[in-house]
Amino acid sequence: MNIEMQHRQHHINLLPGEAAPTVLIPGDPARVKIFAELMDEAWKVTEKREYITYTGIKDGVKISCTSTGLGCSPTAIGTEELIRIGTKNIIRIGTCGPIQPYLKPGEMIIATGAVRGERTSEEFISIDYPAVADYRIVRALIDACVKLGLTYHLGIIRTHDAYYMESPQAIGDYKTRLQKWIDLNVLALENESSTLFVIAGMQGIRAGTILLSGYPIFDNYGEDKNLNTHIKNLVLAGIEAAKILHEKGLD
Amino acid sequence: MEKQHHIQLLPGDVGETVFLPGDISRAKVIADHFDSAELIAQNRQYNTFTGMYKGIKVSVTSTGIGGAAAAIAIEELIKVGAKNFIRIGTGGAFQTWLPKPCILVITGAVRGDGTTREYFPVEYPAVADFYIVEGMITSAAELNIEVHPGLEWSHDAFYAGSPLSNLDILTIEKPWIDAGVLIASQEASTVLSLSMARKCRGGTILCSSGCHQHPEMNATPEQMEKAISNATKISLETAVKLHKLDHGL
Repeated sequence: MNIEMQHRQHHINLLPGEAAPTVLIPGDPARVKIFAELMDEAWKVTEKREYITYTGIKDGVKISCTSTGLGCSPTAIGTEELIRIGTKNIIRIGTCGPIQPYLKPGEMIIATGAVRGERTSEEFISIDYPAVADYRIVRALIDACVKLGLTYHLGIIRTHDAYYMESPQAIGDYKTRLQKWIDLNVLALENESSTLFVIAGMQGIRAGTILLSGYPIFDNYGEDKNLNTHIKNLVLAGIEAAKILHEKGLD
Repeated sequence: MEKQHHIQLLPGDVGETVFLPGDISRAKVIADHFDSAELIAQNRQYNTFTGMYKGIKVSVTSTGIGGAAAAIAIEELIKVGAKNFIRIGTGGAFQTWLPKPCILVITGAVRGDGTTREYFPVEYPAVADFYIVEGMITSAAELNIEVHPGLEWSHDAFYAGSPLSNLDILTIEKPWIDAGVLIASQEASTVLSLSMARKCRGGTILCSSGCHQHPEMNATPEQMEKAISNATKISLETAVKLHKLDHGL
């Protein structure tokens, strides 16, 4: 272990050994507590800025959950620092704006890759480098959904920076703005995965993303009425995938 | 419907899975691995054989070199009924730890080419179909063939990214080598991103005789022939798996 690793990481405030080999990363700090409630036992490790970490045990497997806050900038910091304390698998669990009309609330979206519609990852490597999810995490997430009886869709997503340019609350004619991504087979919009995939790809660790679908953002149905249950399913899918990775020796 | 402009094929002429070598002569080599095969069309660099493998109709179409030519083949093949595109090709490895020769299952590609930029914004990912990647890795294990999954750097100018170049290629390629990219080649970016955008499956398997850092240590032509044969066997078994997956068998 080098000197740097013996100190607490600057933002996530963790030491090696304080997080499990597999870490789930929601954007929202409140979701870390949902994770803790779904584990057999869990303890709060640390809290600093938007980075809250709980570690716990589920069916004998140690798993951690660290919130990153919203957006690629804090996700890049969280990812980089988690890798520096020895994390092997990072799975983003989050919500999104579905843009394909067939997507429904409660369904899961497993990303195989992401459009790099943000600038954070470009500071690491030029824009032509692909943001690809690790195929072993994709498989673990598929198997987790099957085990939990959750409907899932496999495909690419679009990561971008400016929520108020591409969302149901966006300014101006966001439909026209988004049409090209709909035509290009992109399933949903979100704000973190491409940076996660690029950093993980460059540093040789495994990363993946599972997102909870709501109503497609062009429908005016509003909020998913069963959001709390569905978010619980999302977190459970992440926990189950972490267990599967452990069973396969991938941690 | 008239025959497609370049590939000279009609609907029904190809199977759902089409293998895409760059080299024209390799189309025949690949077709020789089918249980049966027939030359269907021949125009420019586009030679197509269709035949059967384990009861499934499969095809191979040579594309010639580069994304420009590969994109034409894919667009026209979709119009005659193709759904799964598997490039079987060669490239120059970047990582010194890879064996010589090596077989690589491409999971994604750096979009260093011009063709896909004309199609899609450069931030759009060139990512391989998950079931092709998994099918290749599983098939390779079943056939007891060593494969390495990872990324390709796709680019256009062979003589600006090859050991035969007069340029300092290791400086040009350093960002990709440092980022763990496995190999330089030319077509994966097009095959993967165009397949994704057209709601088809796209994948790539590559053989490399050696690495750019040590071009003097290349594998022999005979070893490369064997590697290409193995990559073809893996691709055929993957086609069988895709057929089962897509037809609920």
